[in-house]
Order: sequence, then C-alpha cells, then structure tokens
Amino acid sequence: MTAAADARSRPAKPRPSLAVPLGIVSFLVITWLAVSREFGIGLDVGELIGNLTRIEGLLWRVSTDQADRGLLNPNWPFLPQTAEPMLETLQMAVIASAIGCGLALPIAFFVSRVTTPNAGVFNAGRSVLSVIRAIPDILYALIFIAALGVGPLPGILALIFFNVGVVVKLLSETVDGVDVGPIEAGRASGASRAQTVRWAVMPQVLPNYVAYSLYVFELNIRASTVLGIVGAGGIGRILYREYSLFHWSNLSVVIVEVFVFVILIEFVSIWLRRRLV
Amino acid sequence: MTVASPRTSRPTRPSHAKRNLGVLFVVLLIGWSLVSIDIRYERLVDFPRGLWLVIYKMYFEHGPDLGYLGISLEFMLDSIWIAWIGTIIGAIFSLPIGFIAAKNVSSGLIANAMRQFLNAIRAFPELVLAVAIFVPIAGLGPVAGALAIGVHSIGTLGKLTAEVIEGIDSGPVEAVRAAGGRWAQIQRWGVLPQVLPDVVAFWLYRFEINVRAAAILGIVGAGGIGFIIEQTIRFGRFPRAGTALLVVILATIVVDTGSGWVRRRIIEGAEKKAVAAEVFERIDVAGQPV
Repeated sequence: MTAAADARSRPAKPRPSLAVPLGIVSFLVITWLAVSREFGIGLDVGELIGNLTRIEGLLWRVSTDQADRGLLNPNWPFLPQTAEPMLETLQMAVIASAIGCGLALPIAFFVSRVTTPNAGVFNAGRSVLSVIRAIPDILYALIFIAALGVGPLPGILALIFFNVGVVVKLLSETVDGVDVGPIEAGRASGASRAQTVRWAVMPQVLPNYVAYSLYVFELNIRASTVLGIVGAGGIGRILYREYSLFHWSNLSVVIVEVFVFVILIEFVSIWLRRRLV
Repeated sequence: MTVASPRTSRPTRPSHAKRNLGVLFVVLLIGWSLVSIDIRYERLVDFPRGLWLVIYKMYFEHGPDLGYLGISLEFMLDSIWIAWIGTIIGAIFSLPIGFIAAKNVSSGLIANAMRQFLNAIRAFPELVLAVAIFVPIAGLGPVAGALAIGVHSIGTLGKLTAEVIEGIDSGPVEAVRAAGGRWAQIQRWGVLPQVLPDVVAFWLYRFEINVRAAAILGIVGAGGIGFIIEQTIRFGRFPRAGTALLVVILATIVVDTGSGWVRRRIIEGAEKKAVAAEVFERIDVAGQPV
C-alpha cells in the first residue's frame, strides 16, 4: 500500500486532453479562412473603421425633405401610413399561430414513440419534419410567392410550415416524456388508442402545448415583421420600400414601431405564460 | 371547524370564469384576424397546384441545374463564413456583458439595466439591422451581414450567458473571496470555469442558428446564398433555385450535425449542465433566436 506514503503528495495531474488544442487550432484556421479576402468575406477592420464615418450621415443627416433626414430624426407624420401594414403583421401572426399550432397538435401524436408504437410511421414523420425545419421561413415565403403571387397569404402559409415544424418537434418530445401510468390505466379499462391519447396524454401535455403556442406566436410576430421584404405582406413591405428610397427618417419610424410592437407582444406573452404554466 | 360538514358532499368546482374569458378573447382575436385581413381565400384553392408546379419546375421538369452547384456552394460558404464571424463578434462582446448582466456577480441595478439593453438588441431582427444600419455603413456585401448577425447575437448570447452565471454554485466564489481574491479574480477563478462549458455550447448553438439567418441575409444584399435564391426565383430560373435550395438544406443539416456533436461533447464534461440542457431542449430546433 502506497496510499499512506503518498497521502500528502499531490494527486497526479490528468493527462492533458488533445481535444482542446485541436479545437483552438481549428478555430483559428476557420476564422482566418472566414476573414480572408481570397477564401472568405474579406473583413478588413481598418476599412470598416474608416467607413464608420458614414454613421454621422446615417443618423443625423439634415435635409429640407422630411423623409430624407437621418435615422435619429424620425418623420412622425409618416406613422399613420404604417398603421395598416402593422395591423396586417399582427393578423398574419395570429392566423398563422392558430392554424399552425392547431395542425401541430394531432401531428405531434403521430411522431411520438409513446402514442405511435409503429416505428415506420414514427421515423418517417421525424425525417420529414427535420427537412421542413431546415428551410427558413423567408425561403418558404419566396417559394410560395412564386406559386401564389405576392400578398399576406403566402406569408401566412410560410409561417404555418415553419410553426408546424417547431411545435411538432417540441410537443412530440414532451409526449415522449409523459407519465405512462394514466395510459396503462386507460388501456386496462378498455380504452382505444384515440381515447388514451385524449384522456391520458392530452391532459398531461396541455400546459406545455399552450406555452409552446405562445412561444411560437412570439416567433411569428418577429418573423412577420420581415416577411414583407420579399413581398409576403406586413410591415416589412414598407420597411423595404423606404430603405430602397433612402428615406431614412421614414425608415426610422417603422423601426421604432417594430421595436415597440415586438417588446409589447413579448411582455404580454411572458405575463400570460407565467399565469398559465 | 368545518369537520362537521358531511363527508359525502363534493368539493365545489373551481371557477373557470377567467380561463373561459381568456379562451373567448383568443377566439375573438383569431376570428377578427381571419375576417379583417385583406386576403382572397379562394386563392388557397390554387395553392397545392401552384406549389407543385414550382417544385416540378425546380426538380422534375429538367432536374435541378447541377451546373449551378459550384456557384451555389460558393455562396453557401459565404453564408457560413458570415455566421462564423457574426458568432465570434457576438461571443467576444456577450461574455463580459453577461457578467455585468448577471445579478449575483454584478450589482442589481446595473444588471437590470444591462438586461433591458440586451432585450432591446434582441428585438431587432437581423434583416432589419442589416437594412437600417449595416448595409448603409459597410456597403452591400457579406461584411454588413456579419455585423448584423454579430450585433443580434450579442443580445441573445448575453442573455443566455447571464442566465448561466446566475445558476452557478456559490462555493467556489466564496472560496476565492476567502482567499483574498479581488472582483476580477473571483470572476476568473470562481465563476468562469463553472460557466465556460455551457457558454461555449451556447456559442456553437448560436452558430447553428446564425447559419440559417445568414442563408437569407442575401435577400437584402447583405451577402450569402439568399441573394441567388431570391434572384433565381424572381427571374423564373427554377432549376437553379432548386439546386441552391438543396444546398441550403444539406448545408444546414451538415452544420447542425457537426456543431451539435461538438456541443454535446463539451457539455458532457460539465458538472452543471442543467441550464444549457434545458434551454437546448426548449429551443434546439426552433432554428430561431430566442
């Protein structure tokens, strides 16, 4: 026994892991590639700092044209013109959340191991969902606009696709984690699969479902403010138009509005979530 | 004493009035939106056929345009670089900000102010930041995109970092203080080692989200593959758009898989993985900023 002799000596240092230096080296290599002009995006800090002088014009430009002043000089009379697209933004988010979350509820039960023991259905569902989630909402909007033309409808459909992907993923994982006791009780008393889902699983996941729905609503509010940039309805249309016209002080009004809107909705959503869950 | 009340009587039902009122409000909100929004719903009938036509033109009429694969990959690589640099910008600034915004290591008032600041940053979508600030400053191109993503990432990463710091074990902090450590030393030796695995995992996670964001920034001229997707769809070059779209989907999945693997390796070694694990569980797939 050497324990007694070595009692006061230090424990041996663990062998340094190779993972850390390897990680640091690959980090540096990737960063160098990303910054370089030949391979990456050509980030030149000196040039960037030189460009910072443009901020002055952007923020404080003075002009006789109301719309053509700097960002810090919002052209408030422009506000009424933004009211309708802003309302459309809210409506798009509400409709998409309602339909998206409504569709996601039944689908989630088909991609959970607990409620769908059939491995084929389950695996196929999961794969389809991961592809659906890999496409950003704006790209959906672009595709749907090609199919339907511009307007809020392709925007709403884009949000719905995106919502179904998110909610089904979150909810199906919640369903995976439910207490199986009530399910067994239901089955023991002769309930069909649909009945066990309704009476044993649903009550357990409902609070989470409501929380996810609120979360998705928040995501939709943010997303629907920019969908208009590609022509899919909402305030983004005005945002992009004023940007294209270099009307910074009008743009400023829209930005402040979007900001207040997003913060307000988030505030309400957090308050509701705290009350409900 | 109410013991005398008959045992067989049922307890009174709790009132559902508030809940029902809430449900009614939501239903009314949805109804109002559906009715008052300016949509011709009959167009929905054309949607399946229209969507199929687009997909058909993209992939089946002549097949996706594989000659366009090189250009698509080049632009997608740009998107990945944008996401990488944006994430680094976010990480560098959010780490100190996270310490300032954590109530247990900073003072309450300053922490609150910093939290509000972070909330404010997060409220601006990357596209809005790019359009309003960074394209005018840095010009059209990927640098503007990287800056927009970087600033937005400061908001989300700062918040997550602060939350991790607030969840630490106070033991090591007290130990450093007892040994005479100054504030900076407490942070370096008492706090940082506890939070670093979670924080690095968050950086990687943010990188995954940023790749998605960088894939669309090109729509406003801020670099990356969004530019060619928008152009090809707008000008009806569907086989090319199909190729670019495939590249986005595959690249996103590849980046997610690689980064997710490293992320899990990092947290596995950490003792306290509660915060990170919980957040990932909640938002792992949303592919969207929190």
